[in-house]
Amino acid sequence: MASTTPATNGDAAPANYDLVLKLAPHLDRHMIFPLLEFNASRLKEDQTDKAREILAAKYALLKKTNMTDYVANLYCELEGLKEPPAEYADRRQKVFHQLEKYEQETAKITELLQRDDVVNNLRSDKVANLEFLKKEHDVTIDMVNALYDFGQLQYSCGNYADASELLYRFRVLSTDNDKVSYATWGRLACEILSMSWESAMEELHKVREGIDAKLANNALAQLQHRTQLVHWALFPLFNYDKAREPLLDLFFNAGFINTIQANSPWILRYLTVAVITNRGRAKNAGVQQKQMKDIVRIVKQEAYEYQDPVTRFVHALCIDFDFEEAQHQLVLAEEVLRSDFFLLAHADDFVDSARHLIFESYCKIHARISLKDLSARLGLNNDDAEKWIVNLIRDTRLDAKIDYKEGTVVMNHPPSSVYQQVIERTKGGFFRTQVLTAAVAR
Amino acid sequence: MSRFFRGGDDSSTDSSSEEEDVYTSEEEEEEKAQVEDESSSEEESDEDESEEESSEDEDEGPKKKGASRFLQSDDESEEDEDEQSDDEATTKVKSAKDKRFDELESTISQIQNGQKINDWSLIANEFDKLNRQVVKLQDGSKAPKSYIKAIADLEDFMNETLAKQKVTPKKMNATNARGLNAVKQRIRKNNKEYQSQIDAYRKDSDAFMESDEEVPAPKAAPKVRFEAPVVSAEQQEEDDKGFSTVDSRGKVVQYTPESILKHLRTIIESRGKKNTDRLEQIKVMETLNKVVPITPYQKIRVLQTLISARFDLGAGGAAQMPLDQWKAAERDLASLLEILEKEKDHVVVEGAEEWDDDEKLPTIAEGEKYLKVPGSIVSLIERLDDELTRSLQAIDPHTSEYIDRLTDEGSLYNTIFRGLLYYEQLRKDASLEVPQESLNRIIQRRLDHVYYKPAQVVKILEENAWKQVSAEADSEITPRSQSGDAGKLINILSNYLFENSEGIIRARAMLCQIYFLALHDEYYKSRDLMLTSHLQETIANFDIATQILYNRTLVQVGLCAFRKGLVYDAQNTLQEICGSGRQKELLAQGVMIQRYSQVTPEQERLEKQRQLPFHMHINLELLECVYLTCSMLLEIPLLAQTGSSPDVKKRIISKTYRRMLEYHERQIFTGPPENTRDHVMQASKALAAGEWKKATDFIHSIKIWDLMPNTEDIKTMLAKQIQEEGLRTYLFTYAPFYDTLAIATLSAMFELDSRKVSAVVSKMISHEELAAALDQVTETVIFRKGVELSRLQSLALTLSDKASSLIETNERTLEQKTQGSANAFSRKDNRGGGQRGGGQRGGRGGARTGGNPQRQAGGTQFTGGALGNAVRG
Repeated sequence: MASTTPATNGDAAPANYDLVLKLAPHLDRHMIFPLLEFNASRLKEDQTDKAREILAAKYALLKKTNMTDYVANLYCELEGLKEPPAEYADRRQKVFHQLEKYEQETAKITELLQRDDVVNNLRSDKVANLEFLKKEHDVTIDMVNALYDFGQLQYSCGNYADASELLYRFRVLSTDNDKVSYATWGRLACEILSMSWESAMEELHKVREGIDAKLANNALAQLQHRTQLVHWALFPLFNYDKAREPLLDLFFNAGFINTIQANSPWILRYLTVAVITNRGRAKNAGVQQKQMKDIVRIVKQEAYEYQDPVTRFVHALCIDFDFEEAQHQLVLAEEVLRSDFFLLAHADDFVDSARHLIFESYCKIHARISLKDLSARLGLNNDDAEKWIVNLIRDTRLDAKIDYKEGTVVMNHPPSSVYQQVIERTKGGFFRTQVLTAAVAR
Repeated sequence: MSRFFRGGDDSSTDSSSEEEDVYTSEEEEEEKAQVEDESSSEEESDEDESEEESSEDEDEGPKKKGASRFLQSDDESEEDEDEQSDDEATTKVKSAKDKRFDELESTISQIQNGQKINDWSLIANEFDKLNRQVVKLQDGSKAPKSYIKAIADLEDFMNETLAKQKVTPKKMNATNARGLNAVKQRIRKNNKEYQSQIDAYRKDSDAFMESDEEVPAPKAAPKVRFEAPVVSAEQQEEDDKGFSTVDSRGKVVQYTPESILKHLRTIIESRGKKNTDRLEQIKVMETLNKVVPITPYQKIRVLQTLISARFDLGAGGAAQMPLDQWKAAERDLASLLEILEKEKDHVVVEGAEEWDDDEKLPTIAEGEKYLKVPGSIVSLIERLDDELTRSLQAIDPHTSEYIDRLTDEGSLYNTIFRGLLYYEQLRKDASLEVPQESLNRIIQRRLDHVYYKPAQVVKILEENAWKQVSAEADSEITPRSQSGDAGKLINILSNYLFENSEGIIRARAMLCQIYFLALHDEYYKSRDLMLTSHLQETIANFDIATQILYNRTLVQVGLCAFRKGLVYDAQNTLQEICGSGRQKELLAQGVMIQRYSQVTPEQERLEKQRQLPFHMHINLELLECVYLTCSMLLEIPLLAQTGSSPDVKKRIISKTYRRMLEYHERQIFTGPPENTRDHVMQASKALAAGEWKKATDFIHSIKIWDLMPNTEDIKTMLAKQIQEEGLRTYLFTYAPFYDTLAIATLSAMFELDSRKVSAVVSKMISHEELAAALDQVTETVIFRKGVELSRLQSLALTLSDKASSLIETNERTLEQKTQGSANAFSRKDNRGGGQRGGGQRGGRGGARTGGNPQRQAGGTQFTGGALGNAVRG
């Protein structure tokens, strides 16, 4: 599905961290398109060379699709022509023909599936369904397969919603396992591109189940599919808030985190941003902390393979405890975020959360902090910093006081009680033992 | 009979001709027996007959032989002194036995007389006498040939008589019958002992006796040595002039192209039998090889047999192959490959049909593209390789002889390389059905020769290998264009094996690749490969050689981590090998002498065989040094941290190190350090006392660092590590005595950047190793007070720890039992790369919640040296 494309370089500094090239091989060509669009939109007026490059890339990207009109336009733009060459008209004609052909082929089955009396007779057993349709309504397996082909064509033409619908119907009827899983991928793509996140999430889960179950004995295919799924999942991850937690769970799942580490460490940037920005929002603080710990560990492990300002920020803050470096990296990271298609919307959020993070670990280590110094470190002026800290203290119930006269924040670290520790450690014992006994009894 | 030449040269002709008579009569009898018994195959008897005829015809044989012998011995004296002296030595020994031989001979003739007149009582008496005599003459398990012949004939004759008796009603007289019975009983028992020799004799009496003759009189046989091809050429010419080479029995041996295959057959048949003179056969074959004109088929066959025969010299026992024979074998193999390269229609494949007809040459059958010769090039190459290793094992590595021998590796590598090319070419034709395995084996050999070498050396090897093949030859698997880069070469070879093989070869290929990567400082790559290979789980199922390779690889990865400055990883990796105290054994770099173990000689021999030749060794002292240094850097802060509290005792990183440290502490007087171990121990002591500079000095003065590439970098790295760990140790040890400490003071004390100091302190605080906080305003570390635990409290903590670990163990046990189906318990996500990275280090510190640095304030534990108490208490 995916293909490598001659993608572009953005502008100078953040361009070094531009991931389009790395992401592209794992995305569908239709999905790369918005990324290119985004890159093009960020170009300044004078960068005509770059713009042209992107245009060429777009053209190369879409050449193979059936969005003939658009491709023709692109071609004209690229070559400076007024009228698109005749071949595009030809192709367009052809595509229309094909569309019509498939439309006819699938007309019957579509019509059948819209009839209530038919739909009501369908069960969960696919073989029986097919049998039923064959007997009652002369539906052949070819017609079902035509649905699949038609769906593919529609998708290629850019009619994502229609394609999705067709593939859905196909999936209901087909018994061909391979094709069903392709159809699932196809639907996922359609839903992502038509930005219906909820159904996209549904499809995503289906795909994931398919990967875990069907490819269990083919490690390589599993790895590749997982890589692709992780890349595709970036769309809902940053565009649909509700998807965030389940997706983070998915990413931290053993199989997927291994995939990321082994095959696509650049995903770590997105993962890190997602985890950090997730802090206030997560329902369960424990989960967030665990994820944070995981991400720190993984960032450290992968430091030799992948680094960018975002991961370096984590590294500086949580591993080296070098706050100045962390601050420096945060500035760079913000820039990177603002030039990233997925992360643009989350840049402010990230910076805010990152500040919290810095402050938190700063407070944990320090007993007394100069307000002036802190405000400089957070990149705020004195009054704002004071306000920010007060809010923070109130929100997080930090045991801290501001000594206004001295201009310092005084932290109070109560030592954790030994008894508390003992209780903590033995807390789960009973439950775990119970589970154990239950398992033994089984 | 040749013995008689030796005994008295003047009467040689006479006695030998007499002897000849005796033999012929014997043979005739034997012939009869054979016909009656119809036990042996017809073919054989035919052969016998024909040979007999020839020997009878040749009355002049001995004279000719004499002449040629003189001729040869002249040549010989010039060319090979060794051989001569050897002969002389044997002569002396034999002559002492001569009398006994004479006795034996006369007894045998008595028996034969008895046989003729059917006097069994005489035979019985003489037979007893014979047996007594032969005991004295026996050297080792070998009885004299004439004896074997006698008893074999006797048995035949006896059987014959018994058979006759059954048929004819005429009775024997009583004494005769008694004698016959006695002989019957004894001979059965007696002959069992010599069964193998008798069998050999029966099978091919001629060849058997021939070889018999050759032992006492090697000179009599045609002697052409490969060192002097000129001589052999002369020999050939002489053949034409009317002289001819004769074998020991006076028969003219004609080495004509037609008879080559026949000669080969006799040689092959006598192979593996006792008392065949292998050297002799080799010489025969060398002559054969030089006979012109020769067809490629014959040449291939001769070379194959010749190489195998040379290998046979080294077979049996621990003796390695003689050097000259090895070289000759290598040369022969090279020329065999050359012929095969030239004659494309001849192929050597395993499992090809044997060509049975010696008389005519095989031709390419209709519809076939190739003339298939049975044999296996890869086996020959493997054998050659093994022999070199064996000889390297036996040579003292510190002599120049070793170096000399090692240079042969280059030519061996060339041979392997050519073999590989040859097999690749064979593989191209699917109709030949060359098994993938052969190709794998040869690639494995090639890989085995390069994986442990630095890239430059591999490059030279490769260049030489490419030089010797023709310019247009190219390898599919390892194209010429890629040969310059050793890393690529290794990668290609091991990937090829990984894709095309399974089991041990696959594992070995991976290990070789990892080893090479680690050797060339590609730590992460090698580590990742090591982890993804999952070999650590299955290695126990592999054979010992592979396990050794695994150990070597592991050590190499550890050393690589050390060079990278990843102390924790290095220690962790080396732990398994170095912590055991059996490095030598695990790396096959020397046999451990174990005091209380019962090792059978057999095991010991196997152990010796496994030893790696010296040039492949990993320096054990360097290894120990690295291991101890890493252990020191990890253990000393840990010791300081745990102090003397009881519950943290169990956390020991390296038992070996602790034991050494303890031993060192116990010494009353410690002199200046002498060996590596002393250096590390004294450095440890200094580090524990916070004297990081002294520790650095001690570590830096270890000489063996010079063996590492980039010595200076490593020393700087170590100094940096010592500084940091020194700071940590200092904080752990002296924290209870301070309320506050200025960062600036610490930074001056350890000559570290103040930013670095605060980073280290922050880390410790964050991981709750240190009960303290930083004061940003005054730039100080404030130590918290009142965090010390009472005894009851710490015991309670220990108890809770134990309880939770109990639950965990239970869960794990159940999980193992149910084979992971009870996933409900997997609390930790069991990630594939379980060991990846050093994340655990931080994690470990973090997991231990609560005031760990617990010690009784102002306690007495520092009086006797912090270290001593920590270790002891």
